[in-house]
Amino acid sequence: MTAPAPISNRPPTRQAGQALLLDVVGLSKRFGGVQAVKDLDFTVAEGEIVALIGPNGAGKTTAFALISGFLTSDAGRVTFAGRDLRGLAPHQVNALGLARTFQIMRPFPRLTVVRNVMIATLGRHADVAEAERRARAVLDELGLGAKADRPAGGLTLAERKRLELARALGTEPRLLLLDEVMSGLTDAETERIVELVRAINRRGIAILLIEHVMRAVMSLAQRIVVLNYGERIAEGRPESVANDPRVIEAYLGDEEVARAPA
Amino acid sequence: MTAARRERAWAIGILAGLGGLAFLPLVARRDDVLNFVFLILLSITLAQSWNIVAGYAGQVNLGHAAFFGLGALLARSLWIGGTPIVLAMLAGAALATSFALVIGAPAFRLRGAYFAIGTLALGEILRTTVGNVLPEISTLPTATIAGYRLAHRYYLALALAAVSVVTVAALAGSRAGLGMQAIREDEPAAEASGVGALRLKLTALALSTGLAGLAGGLFGYYHISYYPSHAFSPTWTFDALLMTFIGGVGTLHGPVLGAILYIVLKEYLAVRWVDFHLLIFGALFIAIVLLLPGGLVQAATRGRRLFARGEV
Repeated sequence: MTAPAPISNRPPTRQAGQALLLDVVGLSKRFGGVQAVKDLDFTVAEGEIVALIGPNGAGKTTAFALISGFLTSDAGRVTFAGRDLRGLAPHQVNALGLARTFQIMRPFPRLTVVRNVMIATLGRHADVAEAERRARAVLDELGLGAKADRPAGGLTLAERKRLELARALGTEPRLLLLDEVMSGLTDAETERIVELVRAINRRGIAILLIEHVMRAVMSLAQRIVVLNYGERIAEGRPESVANDPRVIEAYLGDEEVARAPA
Repeated sequence: MTAARRERAWAIGILAGLGGLAFLPLVARRDDVLNFVFLILLSITLAQSWNIVAGYAGQVNLGHAAFFGLGALLARSLWIGGTPIVLAMLAGAALATSFALVIGAPAFRLRGAYFAIGTLALGEILRTTVGNVLPEISTLPTATIAGYRLAHRYYLALALAAVSVVTVAALAGSRAGLGMQAIREDEPAAEASGVGALRLKLTALALSTGLAGLAGGLFGYYHISYYPSHAFSPTWTFDALLMTFIGGVGTLHGPVLGAILYIVLKEYLAVRWVDFHLLIFGALFIAIVLLLPGGLVQAATRGRRLFARGEV
């Protein structure tokens, strides 16, 4: 069955094999004397959940900024759904169906919660009433429906994390980049976000997440890419990555590994 | 109550108030009353126009007077040359907006305080140039003075104030308006939500300067004589800024309340203390920015909250 190329941003019917959605090749970025990201390769398939992990300063957030159009790379190529993202502004990358959240949450504090999300849904639905209906539906799904008409500046940390997620979802992405949406949350709140992420993924939205909460990473990710000093040092299924000595070394330092009892 | 409903309620209230003012020329026997209300109406338009780019899109334009001045300059010359005033004003607005679009793309490469300083410089360049090129005072021809009707100016000011309020009311909850507010709150986050920031900032600037150009045209139609460079004076920018901040920046009703309070206070203070009123306004502005960055609107919210706490 050969369908014509999809014009809308909805994911095409997923084929049995996993079609490539995001393809990062040789991505590099230097800030002065710091090589933040170095020759990074990885992929995300349609509908997949991939985690990007690594110690602080490993270049994960920089990689996100490069992919989503907030930074220009020194070298390398990012292809999303078959399109080269070079030279596109963040809002153009978003329009192609790639949405991101920010590690430090950035709600629009003076606007009501529903208007925060409407700004996202208006990108797909020019009609304000329709955009509002969809924004309220997303908020209900994320358990923020009761706060919809309050200013976003008054939300708690956990609520702001969910608003960040709601806003990204509101743009109806095919790939969602989540930058530490679970840090600083209680166990119960983390569990709730894990369930939400899983539910979002079940709808066919691929997910690339940066996360330090390992329990969440292990239970969500189908594949893990490990960065250290801007380079990919390991990649694979969660259980194999967790036992990889290079990963343990990156997290704990080689002294710790050397001293650890055999 | 949803934000959209609150805005609609304010829009209806303000428009009802303006509708009531339509009867003023029928009952007011003295010209000074009409002149005074005219000044408030002109100020509402000017403050509301500044509010679009600074209050909604978050780009503090300190060269706003340039667009007011351009509108005044072109509209007045065309009108004196025989063009109907409304057409002349529209031409003035078109000139102001065209100029804004030409300088907009480079100006928006500057962010925050740099944009403010850049636009301030631009306004001053224009004022000096106009002062040098047109040093003579502009006075209406005798025939025009003889046929001068204050009520015409008054109704035009009333219509323009209504246009500015309707424009901002329509903008506030619209796709473009919400995008502008997202840019004001956090431009990178707005971009991440799919908002094309540059295009919307230019849209805000175009609307804002178009209204400022219309207000300038009205000023040129109203005054019997003035120096052309006076319409480019930074006072117009800072009056608009003060009124908007006093009332509440980024709201529909803020510039309206601010304009009323500012003009009333200014007339009162100027009569009593002559130029000292500038000092008082300077102090008032600093106090507002420090204590009530949301202006009167925020003061009302705080007051209600205090009151509610008292009752519990």
